[in-house]
Amino acid sequence: MSENTDTIAAIATASGKGAIGIVKISGARSLEIASLITKQTLKPRQARYTPFFNSFGAVIDQGVALYFKGPNSYTGEDVLELQSHGNHVLLDQLLDVATNAGARVARPGEFTERAFLNDKIDLAQAEAVSDLIEASTTEAASAAVRSLQGEFSAEIQVILEQLVNCRVYIESALDFAEEEIEFLKDSELTDRFTTLESSVTQLLQRSEEGVLLRDGISIVIAGLPNVGKSSLLNRLTGQDTAIVTDIAGTTRDVLKEEINIDGMPIHIVDTAGLRNSDDPIEQEGVRRAHDQINQADRILFVVEAGCEPEQSLLDELPDGIPVSFVLNKADLQSGIQQLENMLLVSAKTGEGISQLREHIKQCAGFEKTAEGALMARRRHIDALTKAQSHIRSGHRHLQDSSAGELSAEELRLAQDQLNLITGEFTSDDLLGEIFSRFCIGK
Amino acid sequence: MSDQTKYDVIVVGGGHAGTEAALASSRAGARTLLLTHNIETIGQMSCNPAIGGIGKGHLVKEIDALGGIMAKAADAAGIHIRTLNARKGPAVRATRSQADRALYRAAIRTAVENQQGLHIFQQSVDDLIVDEATNRCSGVVTESGLRFNAVSVVLTVGTFLGGKIHIGDVQQAGGRAGDAPSNALAKRLRALPFRVARLKTGTPPRIDGKTIDYSQLEAQPGDTPRPVFSYLGSEADHPEQVHCHITHTNEKTHEIINANLGKSAMYSGNIEGVGPRYCPSIEDKVVRFADKTSHQIFIEPEGLNTHEVYPNGISTSLPFSVQLDYVHSIKGFENAHITRAGYAIEYDFFDPRDLHASLETKFIDGLYFAGQINGTTGYEEAGAQGLVAGINAARAVKGLEAWSPRRNEAYIGVLIDDLITRGTLEPYRMFTSRAEYRLLLREDNADLRLTEKGRELGLVNDNRWQQFNNKVEAIERNRESIAKWFVHAASDDARKIEQAFDVHVQKDQQVLDLLRRPEIDCTGLQKIFPDRFPVNNKAALLQLETQIRYQGYIERQQEEIEKQSRYSESRIPQSFDYANVSGLSSEVQQKLSEQRPDTVGQASRIPGVTPAAVSLLLVSLKKQQLLDRRVGQIA
Ligand SMILES: Cc1cc2nc3c(=O)[nH]c(=O)nc-3n(C[C@H](O)[C@H](O)[C@H](O)COP(=O)(O)OP(=O)(O)OC[C@H]3O[C@@H](n4cnc5c(N)ncnc54)[C@H](O)[C@@H]3O)c2cc1C
Ligand SMILES: Nc1nc2c(ncn2[C@@H]2O[C@H](COP(=O)(O)OP(=O)(O)OP(=O)(O)O)[C@@H](O)[C@H]2O)c(=O)[nH]1
Ligand SMILES: [Mg+2]
Repeated sequence: MSENTDTIAAIATASGKGAIGIVKISGARSLEIASLITKQTLKPRQARYTPFFNSFGAVIDQGVALYFKGPNSYTGEDVLELQSHGNHVLLDQLLDVATNAGARVARPGEFTERAFLNDKIDLAQAEAVSDLIEASTTEAASAAVRSLQGEFSAEIQVILEQLVNCRVYIESALDFAEEEIEFLKDSELTDRFTTLESSVTQLLQRSEEGVLLRDGISIVIAGLPNVGKSSLLNRLTGQDTAIVTDIAGTTRDVLKEEINIDGMPIHIVDTAGLRNSDDPIEQEGVRRAHDQINQADRILFVVEAGCEPEQSLLDELPDGIPVSFVLNKADLQSGIQQLENMLLVSAKTGEGISQLREHIKQCAGFEKTAEGALMARRRHIDALTKAQSHIRSGHRHLQDSSAGELSAEELRLAQDQLNLITGEFTSDDLLGEIFSRFCIGK
Repeated sequence: MSDQTKYDVIVVGGGHAGTEAALASSRAGARTLLLTHNIETIGQMSCNPAIGGIGKGHLVKEIDALGGIMAKAADAAGIHIRTLNARKGPAVRATRSQADRALYRAAIRTAVENQQGLHIFQQSVDDLIVDEATNRCSGVVTESGLRFNAVSVVLTVGTFLGGKIHIGDVQQAGGRAGDAPSNALAKRLRALPFRVARLKTGTPPRIDGKTIDYSQLEAQPGDTPRPVFSYLGSEADHPEQVHCHITHTNEKTHEIINANLGKSAMYSGNIEGVGPRYCPSIEDKVVRFADKTSHQIFIEPEGLNTHEVYPNGISTSLPFSVQLDYVHSIKGFENAHITRAGYAIEYDFFDPRDLHASLETKFIDGLYFAGQINGTTGYEEAGAQGLVAGINAARAVKGLEAWSPRRNEAYIGVLIDDLITRGTLEPYRMFTSRAEYRLLLREDNADLRLTEKGRELGLVNDNRWQQFNNKVEAIERNRESIAKWFVHAASDDARKIEQAFDVHVQKDQQVLDLLRRPEIDCTGLQKIFPDRFPVNNKAALLQLETQIRYQGYIERQQEEIEKQSRYSESRIPQSFDYANVSGLSSEVQQKLSEQRPDTVGQASRIPGVTPAAVSLLLVSLKKQQLLDRRVGQIA
């Protein structure tokens, strides 16, 4: 397809150590990206076993590269598929090359959407397309909460304010040159740019570390004492790791186990039962439990029929982290109603455990089609990286040639990128900021 | 003798929207009638005597490139002309001219009277002829019961619908000072299914210049050489030039205003209409920016043959006695005589989201709205809409497809698209920051962007077409010539360049690259190396220089446009059922059903419509086999 299309990229498999990882790229820049990664020109429809290079030109893996020329491809556009070892650090670097070369991280369902719009999937198959977009969007929205937006929302907000602040001065100098506004001196504006730039850089550094460290998501089991948390951990890992007794307050230490659901690594964390205690050791255990809860990607809150926790305990759970309620000891009661949003299980008999695994799997975003916290985070980092580079160019224009309109253009593009994380901030919003700060008009 | 009551197109209103509409319509070959209250007020500037400014000047040049009248009239009436942002980049430079009101009106009137195929009739319009069954407008009825029929009707009645003037607590019906409002028409329109709301705007008291002590005030001269608005114009078109002056309000002024706030129509709660955020009355300025002890006032001459001046910066709805007091507190105005009181005016406007990009209404076929009734403010914004409505009204008569420029083609496109996709809560004014393609949409290239289109639409006459082609050729021949020009370090050429521009030519390089450096310009190069430039045309040289300087950005914006235009032109049928789009949130569904955008691009720009929602919409259109991928001209 000769048409100039937006190029999109995504990691198409979730990672499990040792498994194969696939990065997919679709759009006009595919071949260009292929040559950056493989340092060779690929021929259509030929699998090539080749070294993969990262953005710095270092070989990071050997893998298979496949190039399809549109319209003879899955999406109907030029497509590049890279199969490498399924480790996140590696896949991230491949994605990085693509986004540096002008691709953007795909929205959920976007590959399928393109395939459909380009007549690559027929109507029968297409029924699923909208469901897919919708489901993944909802999921991505909740994933985003756990991504940059959630974790670093305060910092993002600061960056947004700093950016808008620079834009207010630059844009008002362009649109309201005749007004008696106290325009900033270029040096003051430059200082503001410097601050903005370093805020973005710092946040990026921290979030990149975050992404790399976090290979898989972490699920914390919490609840009142004796409800069967440790038993559940043992059941999920298939091992007798945690001590189980009928004494309330058995678990004190934090116990972390990695399980693997269909190749996706998931950390399961067992914690002390939550209650007020006079025992200093148990007190410390509860404190540590809260620490874990606050860092969770998801909380499995275990409840035993007949001993529901007080509301105050539930209120203590942190905002923004999703909670799944698990009703344990199903074997003891007959005829318990399956409550909505409650998973009914028995750690003892194994009843409901496969549903629980399925539930965890879905939450982790390992539906073949949907995406989870990790892709959302990558998309945010991509946006932030691009914003950073625009802010830098904007700064340079101001310093080198005090070219206000070029600087303004770069900041507008930076804002477009931040909009992907924080929601829309329009040119009209910007004017609103200007009019609220300066007295403008006849 | 042709029938005096049957036309192709009727334009109601002889303001800035109406005159451009009538001229465009008749130029495009439609038999057109301009129906207005009063022939003497054709082309009247209701508010300040100035045309252009940042963002607005861009609109004027675009209107000119499309064969409109505003730029020529502004040149003929321009008594003080400047380029704003002259020291900033070309994209944000803009022309602004003080206009002699009488000369301006005369220039417009002359153009209208001499336009072939255009008739004028003086009478107030009270009613529209609308066929209820087909929802089609086929004419108008005037005050005295005369009926006029047409295929298309363009309504451009400005601030006249339900117009109410406020001075202090005194209210009076009026369309602007001295003119009656259009209440019968307002009532008729309110009965149609349009969404109507109220806006307000204000104007300052006018002052007799003989009573101003200019010796105390700073004078502001126009530019030399004088900028020219029209691509066909020259400095020779300008009348005699005069100065503006600058003065300021002071603490005493603010004290007087503060003490009398309760008497302002704005603050006594008599006004329901919303005013613009950027154009606050002096009461507003004093209240909202309490820590500012002084505000600037530009004293703009109203014309060469009058002493009246327009003090820009002190519009108000305070009672006349207070206006006198605060005016007298201002330096240079101690003994000023007020010739007309300042006032605020409230009027009906129609939610522009009920319009197609052609400016035809969505509810009634054959009916077009343009100008202030669509929620905008300003002559330029009105003229731009008038031109588009006029051309489309005429095209509809011939069964031709409507045309409206895209956001990346013109500020006119930005204006119309903003209005129809986002609507407006306050009187909408153009600013360059509204244009995401600001670097492409410059005053200097409005002709290059639009003349060809104008020619195709029948708006551009042979003379303009010839001049345009000459300019394009000049640019291209010079470009070809310098593209081949290579300067070696330490060569004769290099030395001459170093001397003239105070730069250092370090290495062998293309002159094209040298021209990217801010110190070096084409005009300067042409002076030293006339042989290198086959055509010596000033505008062409400037144009080439700008294109070279912005090249990287222009390419990037072009790429952005290409990416976005993929489905943005795909039509959505007006009957499309958004409830059937699976996965769409009910909020988005409601917005889309209410607004009924014509294209996927318009849908995507409605606030709250996310990229995922657009995806769902595309998929749904595709499933119903409604997805066309149109390239070409459609809004
Ligand atoms: C008090 C005031 C303050 C303003 N302040 C500003 C400002 O601060 N900044 C700014 O940019 N702009 C301002 N303007 C706005 C500017 O004047 C308008 O935006 C511009 O004139 C709108 O052009 P138009 O063609 O839409 O309407 P108008 O210029 O208002 O023209 C309307 C025309 O329609 C005619 N008409 C009305 N009703 C009928 C009818 N029923 N039958 C026949 N003819 C009819 C009228 O006679 C008139 O010729 C102000 C206007 C007013 C009145
Ligand atoms: N019948 C039945 N008993 C269970 C089930 N799950 C756990 N138990 C019993 O409940 C008791 C407490 O189990 P634990 O797994 O130690 O509970 P805990 O929530 O980890 O308790 P603390 O660590 O003290 O907070 C033990 O006697 C388990 O054998 C179940 O599904 N059914
Ligand atoms: Mg335990």
